[in-house]
This record gives sequence, C-alpha cells and structure tokens, in this order.
Amino acid sequence: MHSKASLVLGIAIMAVSAAVVVMALDWPWKAKLFPLIIGIPVFCMAAAEVAWGLLDPAARSQAMEFTLSGEAGAGHTGRKTLVAIAWMSGFFAAIVLLGFPIAVPLFVFLYAKLQGREGWGTSLGLSAAVWAFFYGIFDRLLHVPIPAGWIQQWVGLA
Amino acid sequence: MLDAFLQGLLLVLQWKAFAFMLLGIVLGFWVGLLPGLGGVTTLALMLPFIYSMEPVQGFAFLLGMHSVVATTGDITSVLFGIPGEGTTAATILDGHSMAKKGEAGRALGAALTSSLVGALIGAAALALAIPVVRPLVLAFGSPELFMIAVVGIAFIASLSAQGGRGLIRGFIGGGLGLMVAMIGQDPQAGIARYTFDLLYLWNGLDLVPVVIGIFAIPEIIDLIVRGTSIAGSHAKGRLDQGVMEGVKDTFRHGWLTIRCSLIGTFIGIMPGLGGAVAQWLAYGHATQSARTAEEREGFGKGDVRGVIGPGAANNSKEGGALIPTVAFGVPGSSSMAVLLGGFYLLGLLPGPEMLTTHLAVTFSMVWTIAIANIITVIACFLLLNQLAKVTLVRGQLLVPVILVLVFIGSYTTNGHYGDILVMLLFGAVGYLMVAGGWPRAPFVLGLVLGRIAENYLYISVARYDADWLTRPIVLLLMAMAVGAICYPLVQARRMRTRSGTHA
Repeated sequence: MHSKASLVLGIAIMAVSAAVVVMALDWPWKAKLFPLIIGIPVFCMAAAEVAWGLLDPAARSQAMEFTLSGEAGAGHTGRKTLVAIAWMSGFFAAIVLLGFPIAVPLFVFLYAKLQGREGWGTSLGLSAAVWAFFYGIFDRLLHVPIPAGWIQQWVGLA
Repeated sequence: MLDAFLQGLLLVLQWKAFAFMLLGIVLGFWVGLLPGLGGVTTLALMLPFIYSMEPVQGFAFLLGMHSVVATTGDITSVLFGIPGEGTTAATILDGHSMAKKGEAGRALGAALTSSLVGALIGAAALALAIPVVRPLVLAFGSPELFMIAVVGIAFIASLSAQGGRGLIRGFIGGGLGLMVAMIGQDPQAGIARYTFDLLYLWNGLDLVPVVIGIFAIPEIIDLIVRGTSIAGSHAKGRLDQGVMEGVKDTFRHGWLTIRCSLIGTFIGIMPGLGGAVAQWLAYGHATQSARTAEEREGFGKGDVRGVIGPGAANNSKEGGALIPTVAFGVPGSSSMAVLLGGFYLLGLLPGPEMLTTHLAVTFSMVWTIAIANIITVIACFLLLNQLAKVTLVRGQLLVPVILVLVFIGSYTTNGHYGDILVMLLFGAVGYLMVAGGWPRAPFVLGLVLGRIAENYLYISVARYDADWLTRPIVLLLMAMAVGAICYPLVQARRMRTRSGTHA
C-alpha cells in the first residue's frame, strides 16, 4: 500500500509537472517564468522519487504525519475505504440532485441507519438535529445562498 | 506615550465599546469553530455595520471578532481534524493525533494557552514596535520577501519528513503546491493559466476547499475504516485531566512558545505573507526542538510542541500584521486589507496620524487584541472538558456530522459546487500522500505562498535583473535556506554517529 501509493503519486506528479512545463512554453516570459522555474525541478525530483521507489521498493520514508489504520494490520481496509468513498460520492450526488436542505438530513439518516446500524430514534433524531443546525446557522443566520437541486429545477419546483 | 497607552485601555473599557467587542467575540467564536467560514469573509460582511460607530467601537467590534477566530479555529482542528480556519491547519498534525490518543483536552489546553500567550506577545510587539518598525519594513523589498517564501518552503520541506528521500518528497510537495497556486489568471500578463476554459478556475483555487480536502478527507476515511470514536479505545479518564496538563505544557515549553510567537509577529509584519505562512514556519521551528531521532519521529503523531508552536504564531501574527497597516497603510494580510477598509469607513487615515493624533485609538487596538483573547480563552476553558468529550462519541454518529460540516464548509467558500469537487479531488491527493508516507505540510505552504512568491520574483527580476541575488539580506536568507536543508541531514548523521558510539 505504502509503496504503491507513493508510485501512483510520483507518476501523477511527473505527468502534472510535465504538462505544466509544456503548456507554459507558448506563453510570454512574464507568464511562463514561474511555471518553468518550478515545473522543471519538480519533474526531475518526481522522476528521481519514482526511480528510487522502483529500484528500492523496500525503502520507506516516514513523514511526520499520522499513519492510516489499515497499515496496522486491520482487515478489509480496502473494502472499507471504497465504502467510505462511495458514501462521500453519494452525498455529493445527493447535494447536486436534491440540494443541501434535502440531502443533509437524508444523508445523515441513511448513514446512521445503514452504515452505523443505529436505531430509528437515534437516526431520525440526529438527522433532525443536523438539519436544524444547518438551517439555523447557514440559512437563517448567515443567509448563505443555497440553490435548489437539479431535480427540483427540472420539475419546476424551484 | 504612557498616557496614550492607558487612555487606550479606558477607551476599550467604555461600556459601548466593550459591548461591541463582546458581540464581536461571540461572532468570531462561532466563525472560528465552523470550517470554511473564513475570518476574512466575516470581517468583510461586518464592515457595513460599523458605519454608525465611533472609531474605538468599530475597531473593538472588528478586532474583537477577528482576533479570536484563530483561537477557536484550533478547537475544530484538534477535535475533528478539519481546519476551522485556513490558518489553523498546522494544528491538525499533532493536535488531532493527540485527540486520537485520548489527549484532546491536553491538546486543546496547550492550543488555547499558547494562543493567548501568542496574542499577548503580538499585542506587546504592536505597542513596542510602532516607533521603530519603519526601517525594518523598508529594508525588506520584493527580493527579500521572495526569499522569505523560499526559506519557508525549504524549512518545512526539510523538517516534515526524514532522510534524503523525505527531503525530496517535501520539496516535491512544496513544488506541487506552488504549481496548484499557478492555476488562474496570471497577475503579470493576464493569461489564463491551466484553466481549461473553465470560468470557475479563472480566479485560481481557493485555499479553504483544498486545505479541508487534503487534511479532513484522509482522517474521515480513516475514521470510517476504524469504525470507532476519534479517541478509539484510549482511556476516558485522561480527557478530564488533560486540559491543565496542556496549560502546563505551554509554560514547560515557554521559550518555544515565545520564539514561535516572535516568528508569528515577524511574519505578520511582512506584507503579504499572512497567518497561513506563520503557522507552518512555527511548526517547522517546533520540530527543530526535537533533541533525538525518536523525538523527531513523534512529531505528527501527537507531540504537544507541534500544537504549541502554530497556536502561538497564529495569534501573535495579528498584532504584527497591524503594525504596517496602522503605521503605513500597508496591509500585512488579506484580513488587514479588509480592516484597512474599516479605517476609511470610520474616517481614519492610516499613517503618521495614527502614531500621533490618534495614538490612543491605536493603543485601544492593542488592548482589544489582548482583552478579546483573554475573554475567549477563559470562555473556552469553561467549555473545554465538554468539547473534548466529542472525541468519545461513536464514529457512526460523528462521521455524518463531520461530513456535512466538510461539504458545507467547502461549498460556502465561493457558493459553487466546484468547491466541493476541488475538496474531494484534493482529499484523494491527501489520502495518497498519507498512504504513501508523504508530508502534506509543504504542499499547503507551497499553495499559500505560490501567488506571493511569483509576484515578488517577477518584480525582483523585472526591477533588478540578476542583481537582486547579491543583495545582503537576500544572501543571508539564501544561507538560511541552505542551512534549513542541510540541518536535518547533519543532525541525522550526528544522531547516527552518537548511536554508533554508544553501541
């Protein structure tokens, strides 16, 4: 996991920095000075990092960061990570399609009930509390403009 | 001078000014807690309300609000791993790690106490520096300010990971942040860079969704994977005892707190660098206080010094940033630029008059920063033990609440769904970085410094050609950058030699 993630990241940064440099070549010097000064060394360092990873896959570099729990040997980490990504993607889709006012309580309820296996009372109570917080702070107090979802717009409810 | 100093205190203690300051503190308290809602935005939103106020009341309201935002932002960073403010992201690295070890109370105690000490040192610096700051600010032109950005990245890149490979990864991370900062309309030639014909990207990527994504998403995924509370299986009893321990930690590392406060003040004084830079430099400096390899490895995994450093610098920078704003009308940060608008709305002109005719008003600002922070920290301490218990709430209940905060926090940055997509995209980048053992701090510093560094580099080259490289302060800063890169390598070799000798 450690070396695979590093390799993916290293190759992605190589590709991004190469694109940064190539796209900058056509611009006037004012605009390309900084992209070239940064892009070229980053590409070289990312290439060195990828080569390092390929030649010595066992070598690890510890960042001053927390480590993911999966590395401590917990099982089914990959599947649980995919589940987490699915919940976040689903929440985003719900926000776009239904708008925040509906997506927020719906997501909280479904997550608590299906993922958390909480009881009906707890799930409904939590959903209502989070919705009230969202509505009270962002809508009533701060007047953050919250658009209706695409579905409401399509059916003409917005 | 002393008369004006005391008069400033009396002005703040007038009931109307004091009431407005309390109102500002309440607003700032909540703005700091909520991720994504920036202190600068709120400051701008509140400007119209000061029209009818007296200058002292207006500043008590605005500064009272602004000076506590970073303090309460630390609470969100520690408890949830979400930066309450862009300027409190560095606190996550060790603060949230402490929360996961069941030491949320201690982390919060340390963050709040160091914030208070930092704020008081920043306010004192403002009071003391007013007569002598002019030569310092004037000595730093574009070349020197560009080199400060370089030193900052070198500093954090070399200190946030270990070994030669860690150094390379730190620099790649910093470079990636600088490249992300290039997205948007180029300030010099007006060319739309890396925008792919998307109007959303023309103004560049906002710091808030990127920082929320890169720090919060990996933590949330980890929380879902673990399926436990934030504190996991760690002992419950430690939360209640931790707060005072955190307070003692700040004074145990008193010299570090003072040094980081001075770093924050200095960065605050320098126009354009801002609080997001100060916290990372202070964090880098805090990691240097490690005496052994084991101590170094402990940073990022819950070392209290990693909380104290950024906490102190975050609040001390406010006093520092006010110095050029008040003395020259040159705002030290974006929030100070908004505050400058407040000066004009209140009929005051920044500059020499603020140091002569309106000196009492200037000192009232010093007092506002100090009093607002004291009140906030006392209020926070009354709530801390209750707040820290959030880390014991079951993950199944906490995750949906945190996700709602993260999504709304990102969305409110620009009111655009693109902000949520950016947050998710950088969440994926952050997850890969954590999974691969890459440091995230250099990336964020690169992102923060990108536009500033490019601007100063362009001005330096356009104005001085290559001659800017030979300016004395530039050479000194270059030596500091080289020193920052070499120091951890030399230190690691020395530690290895020492271990070999003992073996």
